[in-house]
Amino acid sequence: MAGPRRRSITRTLLILMGVLGPGFIAASAGNDVGGIATYSSAGAQYGYSILWVLLPLAVALIVVQEMATRMGTVTGKGLASLIRENFGVRISFFAMLAFFFVNIAITATEFVGIAAASEIFHVSRYIAVPLAVVAVFLFVVRFDNKIVERTFVGFSLIYLSYVVSAVLAHPDWHAVARGTFVPSIRIHDNVWIFMVVALIGTTISPYMQFFLQSAVVEKDPREADLPLARADVVIGSVLGIAIAGFMIIANAATIYLANRHGAHLNPSQAADFAVALRPLAGQFAATIFALGILNAGLFTATVLPLSTAYVICEAFGFEAAVDRTFREAPVFFILFGAGLLIGAAIVLIPGIPYLPLIIGAQAVQGILLPFELLLMLAIANRASVMGRYVNSPTVNVIAWITTIIVGGFSLFYLVELAITTFHPG
Amino acid sequence: MAFTEGFISELVGRRATINDLPIGRVSDFLVNRPDAAFPQIDGLIIKTAQGPRFAPVDTIQDVDRGGTVALTAAPKEAAPPERDSLYLIADLLDKQIVDVDGRKVVRINDIEVANTGGQLRVVAADVGVSGLLRRLGLKSFGKKFAPAIYRAVPRAMIAWSSVSPIRDFNPTEIRLSVSESKLSRLHPSELAEIIGDLSTPQAAALVRSLDDETAADAFEHLDADTQKTLIDDIGTARAADIVEEMDSDDAADLLAELSDEQQSQLLAEMSEYTAGELRELVKYAEDSAGGLMTTDYVWIYPHRTAEATIRKIREIAPTSEFIYYLYVLDAKDALLGVLTLRALLLAPPTATIDTIMETDLVTLEPGASAEDVAATIARYDLLAAPVTDQHGQLLGIVTVDDAIDAIMPEELARKLPRFTAHRPHRRPAAAG
Repeated sequence: MAGPRRRSITRTLLILMGVLGPGFIAASAGNDVGGIATYSSAGAQYGYSILWVLLPLAVALIVVQEMATRMGTVTGKGLASLIRENFGVRISFFAMLAFFFVNIAITATEFVGIAAASEIFHVSRYIAVPLAVVAVFLFVVRFDNKIVERTFVGFSLIYLSYVVSAVLAHPDWHAVARGTFVPSIRIHDNVWIFMVVALIGTTISPYMQFFLQSAVVEKDPREADLPLARADVVIGSVLGIAIAGFMIIANAATIYLANRHGAHLNPSQAADFAVALRPLAGQFAATIFALGILNAGLFTATVLPLSTAYVICEAFGFEAAVDRTFREAPVFFILFGAGLLIGAAIVLIPGIPYLPLIIGAQAVQGILLPFELLLMLAIANRASVMGRYVNSPTVNVIAWITTIIVGGFSLFYLVELAITTFHPG
Repeated sequence: MAFTEGFISELVGRRATINDLPIGRVSDFLVNRPDAAFPQIDGLIIKTAQGPRFAPVDTIQDVDRGGTVALTAAPKEAAPPERDSLYLIADLLDKQIVDVDGRKVVRINDIEVANTGGQLRVVAADVGVSGLLRRLGLKSFGKKFAPAIYRAVPRAMIAWSSVSPIRDFNPTEIRLSVSESKLSRLHPSELAEIIGDLSTPQAAALVRSLDDETAADAFEHLDADTQKTLIDDIGTARAADIVEEMDSDDAADLLAELSDEQQSQLLAEMSEYTAGELRELVKYAEDSAGGLMTTDYVWIYPHRTAEATIRKIREIAPTSEFIYYLYVLDAKDALLGVLTLRALLLAPPTATIDTIMETDLVTLEPGASAEDVAATIARYDLLAAPVTDQHGQLLGIVTVDDAIDAIMPEELARKLPRFTAHRPHRRPAAAG
């Protein structure tokens, strides 16, 4: 056993690791299958010119996640609890309904990742996806969550291969810098706007705020720990965005350039996405890519349906815990089972197109994000909830600008979509 | 009053009238004595064009006259509530409460009020799906389909007498608004479970509302992390009172988990005698063989051959810190002998462990002092000494590092490199 002096060191470390957890994990979990696919196809379709979008996104991500962290720390309650207690049953119901269906769609995209990975290894998705469902079920019921979580986060280091690959691809760093710092807006290109909405949705996933805040509450930090928690959010967000940037660069320097020079790489084929890892991994690029999306898919498919069920039960006061029986917590298990099975079943629909499903789900997240931000902003500005930790004017300004811009993009996209649908050509 | 019973979700928002002239809408319900088993509603808050107004209960002619609330007199300026009073909508609806009989934390979907002998009283909390459907305005849908769901959600209505609301006044002042008498009906372990279900500020509020003895009983059932957080939240003075009421071994364990600073603050708040006793116990727990030992040792079977054992150790050694001594155990974990790694390597491959092990053992009692532990290890030139109970079962080992650390001045110990890494939570590794 530790003596008193050593305990103080271990304790400090534990506190550091404890608080330096949620933001970090949220960031690495943010790069899920949807993230990989969206960043990759953004790079493959638009090259370096779309990189600048990540800068304002990074600021918005930090501000939004800081709000969630602060709300969790000050109130000791999850976001779902706060929405229910401040806005009542009706708004909670619609929020949770949207949350549930979007998360089913996201779960489906995770299984798309698993299916695509298995097909690279020449295993049919009709075998791989059911196997993955069984694996997820075992992870949830059988194993220690912390260990599972750490393992997946450890494996997500595989994303670093994008950083190396991007560098080894010898991109034109001038073009990269111009793409990053000089905004280019294609306001009349509906596909471009769709891509930006998807980038927003996958980077600031609405579900992530719920999970982050719950994870913060779980760690039970004091208000004095807020500076440390903020540092965690900033570091986690910057890292997540940086990796996203390198994914775009790696794809731009390979697929985008190759296609400009007459190649016909089709990034709606998972195997062609792997080309972005060739500078690093050569003939093993496909294998590494497959392992990456397999890990990302399994991780999020394990976490998402479960956390969704927890969050909804939190909002409505239903019993929720994995170690309860079905009779004790029926709603919880029905929600968990439905989320997992429907998500997996969608992928088994014959001929379902992978990439449109993934990017579409991210865009739906982007469209829902402003609504979530409005709820968060309202709560974070209530003195009766937050005391002296209400939003600072700076946070409010940035959060409002984010809400308006994101909402504007979503609205613009929906209007353009409506126009092109009803007046084609 | 013609009104017999109903839900506040159906009453709130109703038009308030005087002589059938509308003056505003009902926005909340004031309860001044929430401690009562079925508390009386003392008045309505009416939202008027001039702002919120208070209608005392004796000015209410009827709460249900053709869908409106009929008043006999104009409502007054809203009076500031008494300290203990509650607003049903603002303070209770949608909030979490402790269901004392169901022994869990639930959320209030609706509140049932009833007219009992001319008094409007709060009678029950609706925590079921039917309450949710009613709030969603799906009452008819609920009547049709809810019975099926109803059966799956037992005890959807909780009698108010077994409800314990938790009121968040503001983030810095939260307290339980109902006396602890309802909560002290619970078994300490159930109380501990409820504490674990609540957010930290709520849990602290709950603990604060308990008497020292009940709180102490509940504390004994909490895990160390929760104990620590709660002590932070309720303050050392109150925490000391509670810890004093705890069983001394549980109290000592709790103290041992705290930082030195917290520990001495707590002890300073206690009576001289208890503090002295606990100080002894904590020291005993920490600086005794029992406190110093680790369970990260390698144990082996007596009837295996040296060759098979070496093969096994090669498998498990990477995960185990201390492999220089191998402890030979029988099926009941009794310590039969010790084998050094050297003796194992030099033994003929086919020799069985029980023929080459050392059976003349030096063992420690868990209560042995750190000095005794260090002296034993030094006298016999050991790298580690086994700690056994009175039945000869192996409890753990104290390595020479830990023994030295325990008796060496702090500053010096910190500068020394370690022989084994410190991992107190490892389990024994079986090479058998």
